[in-house]
Amino acid sequence: MIVSTISRRCILRKQTSGILRVSSIRQLTSNTKSTKENIPTKFSLAEYRHVYPEFIPDPNVEFRNPIREKLERLDMLSRRAHIDIPEFYVGSILAVTSMDKHSPNKTNKFVGICIKREGCGLRAKFILRNVIDHQGVEVLYEMYDPVLSKIEVLRLEKRLDDELFYLRDALPEYSTFDSNMEPEIHPEGAPIPINPIKVKLKPRPWLERWERKDLKGIEQIDLPERFFIRAKELATPWEKYDMMKQYMKTIPEEEQTEIFAEIQQQLQQLELTRKKLKRKRTFIKPVKLA
Amino acid sequence: MALISHIIRNTSIKSLEEKFLCLSLQSLNNTQIREKQVAPQPRLRNPTWLTKKNRVIHDDFVTQENREFISEIVQDKYENNTNKNTLPNTVEWTPNMRRTGVIAKKIGVLPLWLNNGKKIQTTLLQVLDNHVIRYYTPEEYESPRERAIKVKNKAPCIIMGAEAVNPTLFTKEYCGLFKDSGVMPKKYLARFFVSSEAALPLGTPVSALHYSVGNYVDVRGKTKYWGFQGVMKRHGFKGMPASHGVTKTHRRGGNIGGGGEKGRVWPGTKMPGHMGNRYRITKGLKIWRINTKYNVLWVSGCAVPGETNSIVYIYDTILPLRKPTKPLPFPTYFDINNQDVPEDIYDDSVHKFDDLTLTFE
Repeated sequence: MIVSTISRRCILRKQTSGILRVSSIRQLTSNTKSTKENIPTKFSLAEYRHVYPEFIPDPNVEFRNPIREKLERLDMLSRRAHIDIPEFYVGSILAVTSMDKHSPNKTNKFVGICIKREGCGLRAKFILRNVIDHQGVEVLYEMYDPVLSKIEVLRLEKRLDDELFYLRDALPEYSTFDSNMEPEIHPEGAPIPINPIKVKLKPRPWLERWERKDLKGIEQIDLPERFFIRAKELATPWEKYDMMKQYMKTIPEEEQTEIFAEIQQQLQQLELTRKKLKRKRTFIKPVKLA
Repeated sequence: MALISHIIRNTSIKSLEEKFLCLSLQSLNNTQIREKQVAPQPRLRNPTWLTKKNRVIHDDFVTQENREFISEIVQDKYENNTNKNTLPNTVEWTPNMRRTGVIAKKIGVLPLWLNNGKKIQTTLLQVLDNHVIRYYTPEEYESPRERAIKVKNKAPCIIMGAEAVNPTLFTKEYCGLFKDSGVMPKKYLARFFVSSEAALPLGTPVSALHYSVGNYVDVRGKTKYWGFQGVMKRHGFKGMPASHGVTKTHRRGGNIGGGGEKGRVWPGTKMPGHMGNRYRITKGLKIWRINTKYNVLWVSGCAVPGETNSIVYIYDTILPLRKPTKPLPFPTYFDINNQDVPEDIYDDSVHKFDDLTLTFE
């Protein structure tokens, strides 16, 4: 019963778009701040699929095997005991600390916006983008790569689109982030804010034909009429009603809950240790500068 | 007199002719064959002992009680029959000895990371519930295929079975094959040639610990069935340009031979045709990790033939430079003193997922 209501809410959250929704979420966050004691500390089973999407196996029937998936999950959990992989989404700003075998004794911290998150299981990966010295830089990180020592979420938020590859053709200010950025505090249990920012694209030529992608996070594009006519011709607006396609591309909710119920205990344990660590961190005295 | 001389001449000519024929045949045999299967594949001939496996299942209107009774009988019959007279390793392994292989299931491809930070692809092979079903001495064994050349070094062979299923699904004769070993009838059977020292008593279980981490194996499986495919998919040809005035030839092979004296299609020319659904062996795959709980081997590469969840056969490698250096469990692994085996056994160069984050100094 609880599961169904929450999933409905998730769907609602997806469907409603634009500024209105965000403002309501902001209100919600302000409310939750005042009533800190009532916040549920654990994620419910239905929320796990948003928080830990890589635990959901590949829906392609040809590649599925229950024992392989189980072993994969166990490996993921044992890696997660050594690295805190937090909840993050496309559009969140992350800082990843890693080591390179070609520069020993050095750690490397990269700050950037997550423009893509894909893959499942041990193959899960994400791309961070930033502009450093007027040069766009993108780094693809594998989540379970043992050279990653720390993944930190500096700003937890979502954008209007599921992938932000259009930032490559946008003005550089939209993907420039300070590498010394301080992590922003996100109250626990509060809904994830959606950043309604609309990006301004550079004039053509582009890497892709963005006018055909039905993007919500870009400003009005200044193009001749024929581009939009062609985009309309190629659009497939009926695909969102294609239930069979949806079915083939997703894993049924029952199966998802089964998977998450199996690993729920370990995940909760990991969350608890993370909280303890966080509390520890707050006690560290700030270093005086100058 | 004249007649006799005539006969002699004729016979001599005949013998000469025969000799010449032999020579010509030999020279024919030396022609270069570009692709292995120019001649049609030999027909699959089942071993003489193999009977019909599946029976037609009628709805016999068996009552629920009777069904339960049957399952009870099956349980009683096969529970008490498990062979547990394991024998200790009597013979020390030497490199020229051949052990039995196992039947496994390909269950997927996953990455592993090495301690030097490198990522490798591995294929997971789950060793099924293998049991020895039969053992043939070289004299007893009859090849289902009559061979032109006589096999000189005949080896004994072991019949392995895997994946026990409800025996009521099989024919009576097929279930009879498992009578001597006393194990539950198996879905898959395989034949492995072994050296005579590697003989195993019937009903002996073989697990993933038959293999050890760091050694190399050969994996045989049936490749994916692609059907009749063009030259681009089948042989990786480039095809022809998509535009610039090219018409009606985009994925075609192009020329298949020259003219003049050799004006014909040479044997072995790569052309469209049937692709896949053949048994192929990938050789020399390293074992990186073994899970003893689920009997899974992590084997290097993603080129193990067959789809996920298909049956493959694992052998010790025949590649001379990848033969094991340390002694192997021979004839197979026996849990003699009920030793505690760790659940996951890793190769030394592999980064364990339980380990701390990798650092380079």
